[in-house]
Amino acid sequence: MIRTVKPKNARAKRALEKKEAKLVENTKQALFIPGQTSNKAMHDITVDLSALKKPNMKRFNRKNEIRPFEDASPLEFLSEKNDCSLLVLSSSSKKRRNNLTFVRTFGYKIYDMIELQVAENFKLLADFHKETFTLGLKPMMTFQGAAFDTHPVYQHVKSLFMDFFRGETTTLQDVSGLQHVISLTVCGDFQDGEPLPNVLFRVYKLKTYRSEQGGKKLPRVELSETGPRLDFKIGRIQTPSPDMAKEAMKRAKQLDVKMKKNVELDSMGDKFGRIHMGKQDLQNMQTRKMKGLKSKFDQTPGSDDDEVYEDAEESFVTADDIEPAAKRQKN
Amino acid sequence: MSTPDYKSLPVTVDKPIPVVYDLGNLSVFDSNVLDRNDLDSSNAKREEHIRAITRDNTQLLINQLLSLPIKTTTDAAGGTSGQSANMALLRLPEGTTELPREKPLPKAKAPTKWEKFAAKKGIKSKEKGGKMVFDEASGEWVPKWGYKGNNKKLDSQWLVEVDDKVQNTANELIDPRSLNRQERLKLIKKNERQQKKNARGM
Repeated sequence: MIRTVKPKNARAKRALEKKEAKLVENTKQALFIPGQTSNKAMHDITVDLSALKKPNMKRFNRKNEIRPFEDASPLEFLSEKNDCSLLVLSSSSKKRRNNLTFVRTFGYKIYDMIELQVAENFKLLADFHKETFTLGLKPMMTFQGAAFDTHPVYQHVKSLFMDFFRGETTTLQDVSGLQHVISLTVCGDFQDGEPLPNVLFRVYKLKTYRSEQGGKKLPRVELSETGPRLDFKIGRIQTPSPDMAKEAMKRAKQLDVKMKKNVELDSMGDKFGRIHMGKQDLQNMQTRKMKGLKSKFDQTPGSDDDEVYEDAEESFVTADDIEPAAKRQKN
Repeated sequence: MSTPDYKSLPVTVDKPIPVVYDLGNLSVFDSNVLDRNDLDSSNAKREEHIRAITRDNTQLLINQLLSLPIKTTTDAAGGTSGQSANMALLRLPEGTTELPREKPLPKAKAPTKWEKFAAKKGIKSKEKGGKMVFDEASGEWVPKWGYKGNNKKLDSQWLVEVDDKVQNTANELIDPRSLNRQERLKLIKKNERQQKKNARGM
């Protein structure tokens, strides 16, 4: 944990605010660190990988004595210091040649780690002598192989590469910005118990041609490889602890779109609303205003009207003939 | 390589198992069978094979993406030329793949001493609207109080309706205009009293 003092000026305060946890997060920054045993090949590979991640990356030039699977605290320190949550440590030893350790952090603590060893047949950007991808564009990604959905190790690889290269999360994507594809392929299907096949990392540039079959809208897509071309052999893995994974996968409730009740769109795009009315109170309904309708003239049973009626009845009971009284009653 | 006639090539791809899309992250997941021999590093046609699979999947992805709703803008596309160009922007849905966050969700800030006190006393923050208010009748912005204030409207009326409450009572003959003024003065007095009380309470 790096000691932070209360900021004394506005600039320092802003800098700290940028680092704070946010509801909608910044693009994850990547930090490329050469390990103590890094070599020329690893340097070139990290340069090419960082080119794909530009501008959301930092690359160190000096070697660092870090062994992530023994003691990861230096990585946590560097993650916090540089505010980077994706770390790539390069090293090469007799046992693990041309090794890249991809580390993700969550809240500056190690989230997961995976070692990917680059096979000898790698090709760099410079080996292709072709036009390359444009910097800072959001790439498309294709994942080939059922293992990416089923096998936990390959799920880890998929999650890592999507997290690493997806760039800015956006709801609006420029059509002309769809320019390059990152392709990850599992090197053949495999059964349980067999050694894990390599993951093949390729980057292609998109070329689109007008096609008669696609009509005006859909083009024919062709690809040309731009590099880097890397075959990753899977090495050691550290998975996230369940607690941390749960915490990291939490979604902000504020961002969830609330379902609007009783509002519908029909196929024509017209909006329909359904309203539920309470029971109408007709007693207090405003009708035409007249003096005769004022409440003090209200005729209610049991009031003076009835009394008048009773008086009339009494007077008639005294009479011999009852029939006229019955007739009066009706009136 | 001879250039093929792209016009006649198909833009659709058939896959035994349909692919899965995550359009928010511009990604496509293909779980069809991959032959190990095709992808073996000793195979001379390996790269072509990988490219062919990727091309098919990219074609599928592009087909899906281009059928998303499009928003066209005439905003300048970030260029320095100052020219405004039409931009076609795809409206992407939200990503479906769950990816871990970078940092924990921000916690709600602890209430300040004042906020706690205000909650206890039931003090609500003052309505912030400024001094001016729109007068519908005259179609002008007038101050809520003070010189030509909106609360002095009654004072300048030449005819004032008598309130139902005071009708047929002793107060009937008191000029409502002066009453209105008295009420305002009372409020000022009350406020001053409260201020003094608060100052003492500290």
